[in-house]
Amino acid sequence: MLLTAIIFLPLVGAIVTALMPKDRGSVARWIAAGVTAADLALVVFLALRFDVAQGMQFAEKIAWVPQFGISYHLGVDGISITMLFLSALLSLIAVVASWKMETKPTAYFAMLLLLEVGMNGVFVALDFVLFYVFWELVLVPMYFLIGTWGGPRREYASIKFFLYTLFGSVFMLVGIIALYLQTGTFDISAMADLGLPATFQWWVFAAFFLGFAVKVPVFPLHTWLPDAHVEAPTAASVLLAGIMLKMGTYGFIRIALPILPNAANQWAPFITALAAISIVYGAALAFAQTDLKKLVAYSSVSHMGFVMLGIASGTAEGLNGAVAVMFSHGVVTGMLFLIVGMVYERTHTRMIQDVSGLSNQVPVAGGLLAFASFASLGLPGLSGFVGEFLTLLGAWKSSVPAAWVVIAAIGVLLAAAYTLSMVQRVILGAPSEAVSKISDLTVREVAVLVPLVVLTLTVGLYWNSLLRFTDPVVTRIVAMLAGA
Amino acid sequence: MSALAWFIPEYLLLAGAFFALFAELIVRREGVAAAAGALFASLAALSALAIGVRPAAFGGVLELDQVSVTVRVVLATLSAVYLLWLAGRGMAPERSREAAAFVLLATLGGMLMVAARDLMVLFVSIELATMPAYLLMGYRRDDEHTLEGALKYFLLSMTTSLVMLYGFSFLFGIAGSTSFAAIAEAPGAGLLGAFSAVFVFVGLLAKMSAAPFHYWAPDAYAGASPASVAFVSTVPKLAGAAVMVRLAVILVPGVPALPTVFAVASLASMLLGNLAAFPQSDVRRLMAYSGVAHTGYMLLALSAGSAAGNAAAIYYTIAYAAPSMAIMLLAAEEGTAVDDFAGLAARRPAAAWTSVVLLLSLVGVPPMVGMFGKLVLFTAALDAGRLALVLVAVAMSVVSAGYYFRVLRAAFFVGGRAERVPRVLPAAVAVALLTAATLALGVFTGPLVRWLTAAF
Repeated sequence: MLLTAIIFLPLVGAIVTALMPKDRGSVARWIAAGVTAADLALVVFLALRFDVAQGMQFAEKIAWVPQFGISYHLGVDGISITMLFLSALLSLIAVVASWKMETKPTAYFAMLLLLEVGMNGVFVALDFVLFYVFWELVLVPMYFLIGTWGGPRREYASIKFFLYTLFGSVFMLVGIIALYLQTGTFDISAMADLGLPATFQWWVFAAFFLGFAVKVPVFPLHTWLPDAHVEAPTAASVLLAGIMLKMGTYGFIRIALPILPNAANQWAPFITALAAISIVYGAALAFAQTDLKKLVAYSSVSHMGFVMLGIASGTAEGLNGAVAVMFSHGVVTGMLFLIVGMVYERTHTRMIQDVSGLSNQVPVAGGLLAFASFASLGLPGLSGFVGEFLTLLGAWKSSVPAAWVVIAAIGVLLAAAYTLSMVQRVILGAPSEAVSKISDLTVREVAVLVPLVVLTLTVGLYWNSLLRFTDPVVTRIVAMLAGA
Repeated sequence: MSALAWFIPEYLLLAGAFFALFAELIVRREGVAAAAGALFASLAALSALAIGVRPAAFGGVLELDQVSVTVRVVLATLSAVYLLWLAGRGMAPERSREAAAFVLLATLGGMLMVAARDLMVLFVSIELATMPAYLLMGYRRDDEHTLEGALKYFLLSMTTSLVMLYGFSFLFGIAGSTSFAAIAEAPGAGLLGAFSAVFVFVGLLAKMSAAPFHYWAPDAYAGASPASVAFVSTVPKLAGAAVMVRLAVILVPGVPALPTVFAVASLASMLLGNLAAFPQSDVRRLMAYSGVAHTGYMLLALSAGSAAGNAAAIYYTIAYAAPSMAIMLLAAEEGTAVDDFAGLAARRPAAAWTSVVLLLSLVGVPPMVGMFGKLVLFTAALDAGRLALVLVAVAMSVVSAGYYFRVLRAAFFVGGRAERVPRVLPAAVAVALLTAATLALGVFTGPLVRWLTAAF
C-alpha cells in the first residue's frame, strides 16, 4: 500500500486544492507543501526499508481488466527508487519555489500536485497500461502549467509540447499492443528477457523509440523542448527538465532494454550516433544563446545525450552512468532553472547581456549559480562528473563506433566552454543596470536550493550513495543484453 | 416470465413517449415532459438491466443476447441523461415536449434495432429510430438553415434506407427467409451475395456518416440546434454500430471481401474526418467531422473480422457516445462557435474542466474511457494484421488532439464574455453524469470489457 499512497497522496491534495475557493491561495500552497513533504517523507521511509540486494520490492498487484491481463501492478527497484526520490524531492521544491504565485494559485498548485501523481506513477508502474496512463497523465497538467502560467508564447509552446509528446506516445501504444499480442500480458516485469523474435523486437523497439526519444528528447525530435522550457513557469521548467525528460530514458532502461535486448543491441550504433549529435548540437546551440533559460534548455539536450550514450553502450559503466546523469541533471538543472527564475523575478530579464555582475551585487545568488554551473559542466567532485565520466567510459568499452564516443567527448569541452562563458558574463564583472538594484536571495529561496546543493556534493564526492542502488539492477540488464 | 415481459423497457419508452406529449397539459410547466421522459427512460434502463439475457422470442424475430442487453441499457441510460438535460434547458425557442417524445421513440427504435433478428423487424426498427431523428434535426421550424439541413438529412437517409432495403431484398432472395439465422446458414452466394451485402452496408455506412457517404452530416448538424445534434449524433449511432456488428457477424463468412470494404471505409473516414475537422470554427461541424472520424475507428475494429474486433467496435462507440453527447450539450449551453467557448474557464470553471475530461477522452488520453476504447480497438485490429490502418489511426488521433485542443485553448487561454448562462440543476447533473461516466468507465473499465468480450 505504500507505493499506492505515494502515488495518490498528491491526487488527494490536487482535488482538495482544485476545489478550494479561488482566493485561498495561501491555504492551497500550505496544503501543496504539506502533501509534497509528506510524500517525500514516505519515499524516504521507503528508501530506508529498501534492500539494494533484492530486485523488485514493495510490489502491489491487483487485477484491473483480467480479460486483457491488465493489472494494477506496482513495484520499485534500485533505479525506480532513485527516480521516485528525485520526483518527490523536486515536487516539494517546485511548490516551495512557487510560494509567491499570485495568478490563480489554487489551480496552479492543483496542477503541480496532479503532475506529481503522473511522475511518481511512471516510475513505479509495472503494467504497461498503467504505465501508459501515468505517462499521458503528466501531459495534461504540464499543458496547463505552460499554457496558463507561462511566458508570452505560452499557447504555442504548450500545444507544441502536447502534440509532440502525444505523437511519440501513440506509437508507443502500438508497440505495447504488439507486445501484448505476442506475449498475452501487459505485465512489464513478466516480459523481461523472453527471447522474442528478432525482427519483431526490432519493430517494437522502433515504436518505443519514437515514444521515448521525443520525451528525452533526442536530436532531431528535440524542437519542442526549448519552446516549452522557455515559456514554462520556473517550477514547471524544473519538473519538466528534472523529471519528465527522465521518463523517456527511464523507459529505455526499464522497458526497451530488458524486454527487447536483441533490438537494443541492433539499435545501439544508431542511438549512439544520435546521442553524440545531441550532445554536440545541444552544446553548440547552448553556446549561441543570449537567453539564460534557453541556454539551460539546450544544455539539457546535451546532457540527455550522455544518458542516451550510456544506455546505448549496454555496459554496466554506461548504464550506471546514465542513471547518474539522470539524477544529477535533475538536481543540477533544477538548481539552474530555479536561480535563473529567481534572478528573472528581480531583473525581469533573462538576457545574458543585461544580467552581469551577479557576484558583486548578489553574492549568494551568484555563488550558487556558479556552483550549479560547475556541477553542470562536470567538474570532478560534483555530481555531473560521475555520470559523464561513466557514460563515456561505458561507451568506449562497448562495441559502438569509437568515433561517436570521441565526438561525444568533445561535448564535454563544449559544455565547459558555454558554461564558463556564461559564468564569466553573468556572474563576474561589474553589475549591469538591471542587476544593480536587486536584492539577494531570501531565506526561503536559499532553503529551496540547499537540498540540491547537498545532493550535488553527496553524489559527487561519494558516488556509491547513488550507484549502490543502481548497480544491482544494471548488472541484471547487462546480463540480458549480453545474452541476447 | 413470458416473452412479452422481456420487452418491458420498450413498453416503458412507448408509454413515456405518449405521456410526454400530454404531460404538460396536466402540469403546466415547460420541461415536465422531458423530466417524465427521463424517468421513463431510466426505468427502461433499469428494467433492461434486470431482465438481462433472454432467448429468442416471438418466433425468433427478437433476441436479447449479451450485446443487445449491454447496448440497450446504454441507449436507455444515454437518453435518460439527455432528457434530464432537456428538462432543465429545453429546446428554446421551441417547446420541448415533442422533442422528449421523439427522443423516447428514437430510443425505442434503437433498442429494437439491437434486439432484431429478422430483416423486416430490423428495417422497421431502423425507420422508427431515424424518423424522430429527422424531426429533431428540423426542430427549429422557422430557421432556414435548420430546415435545409434537416431536409438534406431526410432525403439522404431515405435514399440510403432504400439502398439498404434493396440489399435486404437480395438477402431474402438468397436465403429464402428474412431471419438472420437462415441468412447466416445460407450457402455463400458468390457475387450476388457480395452485391447484396455491399448494398446493405452502404446504407448503414451512410447512416453512420462514414466516408465517403458522410457529406450530409456537417450540413445537417450545422443547421440543427446543438441540443438535437447531441442526441442524433450519439444514441442512434450506437444502435447503428450494434446493427453493423450483428450483420457483419452474419454476412462476413459468406462474403470474405467485407472486412476489406470496412477497412477502406475506415481509412477514408479516419483521414477525411480528422483532416476536415481541423479547420472548422463551428463546434457542430467540428463534431460532425470528428464523428466521421470516430465511425472510421469503429470500422477499423469491424474490419478485424474477429470476436475481439466486434466487441471493440461496440466498446469504442460507447466510449465515443458519452463524451460526445456531453460536449454537444455544453455547446448548446455556451454557443456553437469554437469562439463561444472563450473565457469558459473564467465564467464556468466546472464546465471548463468537464470539457477537458470529455475532449481528452475523445483524443484517447487516459485514464478516460476513450483510451481504453482505442486500446481494445487497436489490439483487435493489430491482431488481425491491420498494422497500416492502426498506424494511420494513431497518427490521426494526434491530429484530432490538434482540433479538440482548439476548444480547450479557447476555454482556458482566451478571454471571453463574462456573463454566464443561468445555473440549471438538471442540466448540470446530466453533464456531470456523462463526464463521470467518461472517467469511471475508463478507471473501472473491467465490467464493460467483461460484458462485451463475453458477448462474442
